[in-house]
Amino acid sequence: MSDMAGVKLSRRKLLIAGGATALAAACGGGTTTAPTATAAATSAATAAATAAPTLKIGMLLPFTKVYAELGNSMKRSTDLYLKQAGGKLAGRPVQVIYEDEANDAQISLQKTQKFIDQDQVDLMMGIVSTAIVYPLRNTIDAAKLVFIETNAGGNFLTREVPDCKPACKSKYIFRSSFSSWQISNPLGEYVSKKPDTKDFFICASNYGFGTESAADFVAGLKKNGGSETGRVLPPLGNTDFAPFVTQIKGQPTKNVFSFFSGTDAIGYIRAWNQLGLPAAGYKMFGAGFLTEQDVLKEVKEQAVGAITSLFWSTELDNAENKAFVEAFTKEYPGAQVDVFAVQAWDGMKMLDEALKKTGGNTKDKDALIAALEGVSFKSPRGDFSIDKSTHNPIHDMYIREVKVVGGKAVNSIVDKVGKVTDPGK
Amino acid sequence: MSPDLIVQQALNGISFGALLFILAAGLSLIFGMMDVVNLAHGAFYMLGAYVTLQVVRSTGEFWPALIVAPVALGLLGLALEPTLLRRLRGRHLDQVLLTIGVGLVIVDLIGLFWGREIRTLPLPPGLDRSIDIAGNAYPTYRLFVIVFAVALAAILTYVHRRTAVGALIRAGVDDAEMLSALGVDTDRLFAVTFAVGAGLAGLAGVIAAPAFALSPGMDVDALIYSLIVVVVGGLGTLGGAAVGAWLVGPADTFGKVLFPQFALALIFAIMAVVLLARPSGLFGRARIGR
Repeated sequence: MSDMAGVKLSRRKLLIAGGATALAAACGGGTTTAPTATAAATSAATAAATAAPTLKIGMLLPFTKVYAELGNSMKRSTDLYLKQAGGKLAGRPVQVIYEDEANDAQISLQKTQKFIDQDQVDLMMGIVSTAIVYPLRNTIDAAKLVFIETNAGGNFLTREVPDCKPACKSKYIFRSSFSSWQISNPLGEYVSKKPDTKDFFICASNYGFGTESAADFVAGLKKNGGSETGRVLPPLGNTDFAPFVTQIKGQPTKNVFSFFSGTDAIGYIRAWNQLGLPAAGYKMFGAGFLTEQDVLKEVKEQAVGAITSLFWSTELDNAENKAFVEAFTKEYPGAQVDVFAVQAWDGMKMLDEALKKTGGNTKDKDALIAALEGVSFKSPRGDFSIDKSTHNPIHDMYIREVKVVGGKAVNSIVDKVGKVTDPGK
Repeated sequence: MSPDLIVQQALNGISFGALLFILAAGLSLIFGMMDVVNLAHGAFYMLGAYVTLQVVRSTGEFWPALIVAPVALGLLGLALEPTLLRRLRGRHLDQVLLTIGVGLVIVDLIGLFWGREIRTLPLPPGLDRSIDIAGNAYPTYRLFVIVFAVALAAILTYVHRRTAVGALIRAGVDDAEMLSALGVDTDRLFAVTFAVGAGLAGLAGVIAAPAFALSPGMDVDALIYSLIVVVVGGLGTLGGAAVGAWLVGPADTFGKVLFPQFALALIFAIMAVVLLARPSGLFGRARIGR
């Protein structure tokens, strides 16, 4: 066995060396190095045909600090996918190297460098926070490292942006999650079609994702003549929500677009109820994270009546979702199946589908990118495909309402906005 | 802002300040006696909240936690002071570093034991309603927090001013060396002080648990707020913690809704102004012989 491992290792080293030479050749572009590159490519192809080298995935997810549970959920989903696939994708055994995002841009940069230099991963996945992926965009792009973003929804990551500030799309960057526009803009457009939900007060977490989503929502409202009547912006990670909810109570506008997630969402919804807003006729709307599984399991019926938009819900009635929810719940009893798990699952599925097309080859970046651009499959969220020009997913957006079904508060599907594509070019 | 809105926001601020008082009292006490800024204070608070979660899970009742958590944290403090802090006595900076480490270990153990998901507790029965104040529904639990903090302040003041233990604490704060020379067992006094401080942090955790969510990160928030409170009020005095808390609580509340751009800056600005005018805090005193 150890001999076998030794052979494999040396082959991998050979491959890496070959890949590096090819890369150097591509960068240098000198005529003298061209034959070497061809030779390396040939030897790589031969090696791949004889013994499938390990596919190394660098997975950067938060396992500590505030987003730890999101990271755990995405790891569970990734591990489950690989378990079901027998530990192999397109015939190649898979090694996932997990590193902690730690909600810290500097640490995440170091971990990304480690993936590139030390682990020499075939591709990279993960990253929960937009604030972390934006500054990493250039590093990933410069290293020609194929990267599948499995959560962060910052619009700019998959758009053409002048001067690339704060980020912009890259040939090498794909997304299996969503762009924040895709969630909040369709909701704004949807609700403003009805006469009694045209005007909204805004209460959103004061950070990129929150204010960006609020702006996208208001832009959606304006398409049907709706408008914003005012706003309060609690800081991210706020402790006491009573002051903000009290401010809402002083507003004549009863419809409130509320952008919060995690602990903030829980604090907000609890304060909302304790201060008697439902009885006073106020109604909560928001991006789906407001009532996602991590929040809903704690606030339960207190969230009843909240209208949110998201590309998934546990209640979604399709075969893939049923199978996914069942498998996840069976593998991890006690853990919540949530949208983050779906995003990580679809990230693996994207990769799996693309590798099937390239025959497991990840060295030919252009072929891999073309294959990823062409993926289209049935996800637990419904039809999933990739927008070729932005590398952002195209998927349906569901309008959901928190209802008690069978004694349990769930995000019940009330309507659907079909095939939402980010307006990025 | 309309008048009834101002009343409501004032209540929000005062009740938040009440929680801050319970939180900061322990930090202030430990500093006053031992000259150590206990940076594990936030972790003690978080542990108090998770012990409350455990109590509610196992008994279905909230109220026992008001005894269990402070006692558990007190015992922890009683164990930590002689085993760790005492070894570094006199080396204040090393002690502060040590408390950072203790805090990190506690927070990680909490994650290991109770998980890193967000948890919440229901408001205790009887205090889960709202009552009518100035024509608006106001949650009774927040009023309870105010009453509880005032009662606690009264008890602490009584112990501090009128009892033998209080006299020892006051003497220790003024000059621990002299107290030792007079034959008082300062080792025991320090251990008890640290235990009481930790217990108070735990008590703050109990009170906060039903009102706010439990999650990784709550320790840092609590630590920052309590540090601001004691710096504004003056380290080492009970009155300072009270004044600081009831200044910072409402300032934080009104600041966040009136000047959202400066939400966090406002309380730091207050702190800066106080430090410029009175470097030892509003109620801080110049120390003897240090």
